[in-house]
Amino acid sequence: MATHDTRSHSLDVSAILRGQSKYDEPIEPCIKVENLNLFYGEKQALHGINMEMPKKKVTAFIGPSGCGKSTLLRCINRMNDLVDNVTIEGKILLHDDNIYDKSVNVAALRRRIGMVFQKPNPFPKSIFENVTYGLRIQGINDKRILEETVETSLRGAALWDEVKDRLNDNALGLSGGQQQRLVIARAIAIAPEVLLLDEPASALDPISTLKIEELINELKEKYTIVIVTHNMQQAARVSDYTAFMYMGDLIEIGATTQIFTKPAKKQTEDYITGRYG
Amino acid sequence: MDNSKIAHHISENFNKELEDIRNKVLTMGGLVEQQIEQSIHALTSGDIELAELVIRQDNDIDEFEMIIDAECTQIIALRQPAAFDLRLLLVVLRIINELERIGDLAERIAKVAIQLSTTNEGRTDEYHELKHMAGLVKEMLHASLDNFARMSIDGITSITGSDAAVDREYASIIRQLITQMMEDPRNITRMLDMLWTVRALERIGDHSRYICEHLIYMVKGEDVRHLSQEELEKIMSK
Amino acid sequence: MITSWFKSGSPWIWLNAAAVSTCLIMVVGILGLIMARGVGHFWASPIVELSYQEDDGQVKTIIGEHVDTTVTPAAMAKATGFKLSDSEDVLVQYLIKTGNRDLTGTDFRWIQERHIKTQSSPLDMMVIERREWGNFYGTLTAIKENGQVIATGEQAWSVLEERLKNALALHDKIAHLEKKEIGAINYALEKLRLKQKSLELNNAWNEQKAKEFADKKATYDADYKNHQAELAELYQEIRRDSLVASTESGAELAIPLAKIVDVYQPNKMGFFSKITHYLAKLGEFLSEDPREANTEGGIFPAIFGTIMMVIMMSIIVTPFGVIAAVYLREYAKQGFVTRLIRIAVNNLAGVPSIVYGVFGLGFFVYILGGNIDALFFPESAPAPVFGTPGLLWASITLALLTLPVVIVSTEEGLARVPRAIREGSLALGATKIETLWRTVLPMASPAMMTGLILAVARAAGEVAPLMLVGVVKLAPTLPLDGNYPFLHLDRKFMHLGFHIYDVGFQSPNVEAARPLVYATSLLLVLVIIGLNLAAIIIRNHLREKYRALEG
Repeated sequence: MATHDTRSHSLDVSAILRGQSKYDEPIEPCIKVENLNLFYGEKQALHGINMEMPKKKVTAFIGPSGCGKSTLLRCINRMNDLVDNVTIEGKILLHDDNIYDKSVNVAALRRRIGMVFQKPNPFPKSIFENVTYGLRIQGINDKRILEETVETSLRGAALWDEVKDRLNDNALGLSGGQQQRLVIARAIAIAPEVLLLDEPASALDPISTLKIEELINELKEKYTIVIVTHNMQQAARVSDYTAFMYMGDLIEIGATTQIFTKPAKKQTEDYITGRYG
Repeated sequence: MDNSKIAHHISENFNKELEDIRNKVLTMGGLVEQQIEQSIHALTSGDIELAELVIRQDNDIDEFEMIIDAECTQIIALRQPAAFDLRLLLVVLRIINELERIGDLAERIAKVAIQLSTTNEGRTDEYHELKHMAGLVKEMLHASLDNFARMSIDGITSITGSDAAVDREYASIIRQLITQMMEDPRNITRMLDMLWTVRALERIGDHSRYICEHLIYMVKGEDVRHLSQEELEKIMSK
Repeated sequence: MITSWFKSGSPWIWLNAAAVSTCLIMVVGILGLIMARGVGHFWASPIVELSYQEDDGQVKTIIGEHVDTTVTPAAMAKATGFKLSDSEDVLVQYLIKTGNRDLTGTDFRWIQERHIKTQSSPLDMMVIERREWGNFYGTLTAIKENGQVIATGEQAWSVLEERLKNALALHDKIAHLEKKEIGAINYALEKLRLKQKSLELNNAWNEQKAKEFADKKATYDADYKNHQAELAELYQEIRRDSLVASTESGAELAIPLAKIVDVYQPNKMGFFSKITHYLAKLGEFLSEDPREANTEGGIFPAIFGTIMMVIMMSIIVTPFGVIAAVYLREYAKQGFVTRLIRIAVNNLAGVPSIVYGVFGLGFFVYILGGNIDALFFPESAPAPVFGTPGLLWASITLALLTLPVVIVSTEEGLARVPRAIREGSLALGATKIETLWRTVLPMASPAMMTGLILAVARAAGEVAPLMLVGVVKLAPTLPLDGNYPFLHLDRKFMHLGFHIYDVGFQSPNVEAARPLVYATSLLLVLVIIGLNLAAIIIRNHLREKYRALEG
């Protein structure tokens, strides 16, 4: 811009100072956890969890190993149903519907709540077949729809440019970071509302990790994202809200900046500053 | 010394690094206090050598600032501190900045002392109030550094409160100086030098107050800059 | 010194290496032995003419192939009754295949080297492979047509070759007529008879049907008569020629060309014509039916039967084993009962195979087969259809025998599919069965193939249970032919393993059959290797395709 007429471009200082804060927007909860208890046999793994995960925001679960954060995450798409001896009490509401209601079709629920796991787990099929897996399960075999979905999903997962010339190659030939993005593409191909990410970058190198984090940042425009991570800096970088869990209890949940600069609970403080409590 | 705030990291090295930084800040603080004391002494006693020593020693303070600054940067880069650790390091960076400014002010007093010693004919009686004011700000700085050493903010409002007393003292000395200037215009040059000194002391009081505000941020996570004493007390009593 | 050597671990390495090499030597040895013994069987060995002094002092001529040599120390030979002079250290004996069983009663005889006076290999010695009585050794004297001599001496050989070619062509024609054409008519007639009987049993037999059937029968009969006439003509033609040959003792023998399979003069053959002859014989062995109580001719029906049975077994055992394994691993609640089932399955693999044979005979053949006959084939009674040993029951029995292998390796394969893959599929909204079908089973398919490979290896080599449930010494028809429904599961079949046993131990002429035993064994090994290789190639292909996630 060549113009130097500062008067016509007077700065709206108050907008710059106050309008930016992302926490000022009204929070619309997408998932509500109400009084959730989970038992592995006799052993209680989650103690009365109550929390909300806002829509189109990234919520991170942090906490030491075995604190129940992955367990809680897997409750949200009922992955724990597969484990023997698990009993779950309480409710998880997805837009006010209890997902643990008897009438819920679990497969349909999992189509609404996608999940990406710790280790990249592409199927030993072509890249194309990996992305279309969820659609084919739903009986969609129209080649045109499939091709469109593959492209949009791979673009959505920032992988399209890297693989567009070899869609029929085996997915196992991709690098770890590419595989993880492929898995994300596979998850978003069925257009879920929520994406659950269970330590999605813990098996990747730093550059791939950054790419995944960047991707998460883009994905939250469309999806509600819940991420479990061991890496606190990662939680700090990618999430809007952070929940700290310890020994099956939800200790504290709050805006990420607040949790990382002045946590309210001493346990949180000790954990994020790397102390033994 | 109470280490509970910075100890107990799983990384023993991190503990040591933080401890080291705190000790360096306290050493720097001690040096600055000494500079104030010596510069005032040089002024009141007309000791040129002492004043020159103060000027030389200011280099040490500058060096301290740079070293501590580098160490903080290094810790932030390598350890990505969070919560209290993060606030501690940010506050250290601000405190050493304040200390360095105080050091500069002491240096200025020392320079005034050299200037005055040539025109002064051994009249030391008029420094009485100046000494009193210097005592006040030194006490403020000492107390705030003491709070930093303890990583606590107990009774910090009384320190910030004494800033008002310093301001009152400042105003009364200024009035005296103006009176003297009007009595005898030959005094004007000397009185202006005196004015600089008093002004420097007042600034030292302000910087000490800023240190206290930083300490409040460090301990409570609340930003209390640019607040009045009443507002500050209200927040502290919460 | 020694201690440090032991500590260095090299003794263990040597021990391991020794064990591995022992295994290798044994494998190579087995293959080498059956190869050497079996492969040489078809080589045209030279015919020797010996003048031999019999024990009673008479000198006789012996013609034959040298088969074997034994060297016995003098002392031992004396102890067994041979009279040796003191100057002789050893007794050397030759086994000579003299053939001419119709004249002398034996094919082989042992002779002592020291009694051989002269030895020569006359060029005009010939070997006649006959359809009856084994080989003939002698010289060609004359060719006869309808009892009239048409050629003698030098001429005779070329005439013989030409006429024999003609006779063999006729023989093939006759065989085709008898087996294919007339066989098909007989099969159709039998079908017709059974249909009629079944209609009668159902009280649906009426005038109209009777007429219809009579018409059909009349056409078949007419066909049959035509073929019979044709056959009679052919027989007439093939019986026309015969040859006259003289034996070692000078006696003359007339042999009709119809009875001859092949004539050759090995002493005249060069190296290349011997190779041609060898390959021809090998081809015959692989593609023709056996003759003379299995001791001569080919073993094609046995090869066919073995492969057929193995394929049937695979078709039965794979789905069974896979379904069982999938249930055990994926659906059944893991606990005491599944443990018990696994133990039972594993122990099933240890049950002696003959027990399976007994079970197959008792349960499948008599109970199942008997009931099937009673329900579906009442018209055949009292002749059993499925109520008698046959291909189906043999395949099922072997499937049962190899089921544990398939179950265990499939389970292993399912267990190796990473949990992450299943969860990945489930997380995309797939149900359990969709996950299984689309992801888990394909990934476990190499393991299934491994199970199948092991099953095939075991089944192809199994003989004992088959003897009870379907294998016979000589099956008149193959289980697969041109008559509807083409695959005849109720038929009995031949099997290489049983063929070896039969030829080697049940034939009237054990000496003559011994090389055949080796050749058949070699073939059995090759068939098993071939089947395994096919399965291994498929498995490797699958493995490459479904290469599991690393780590």
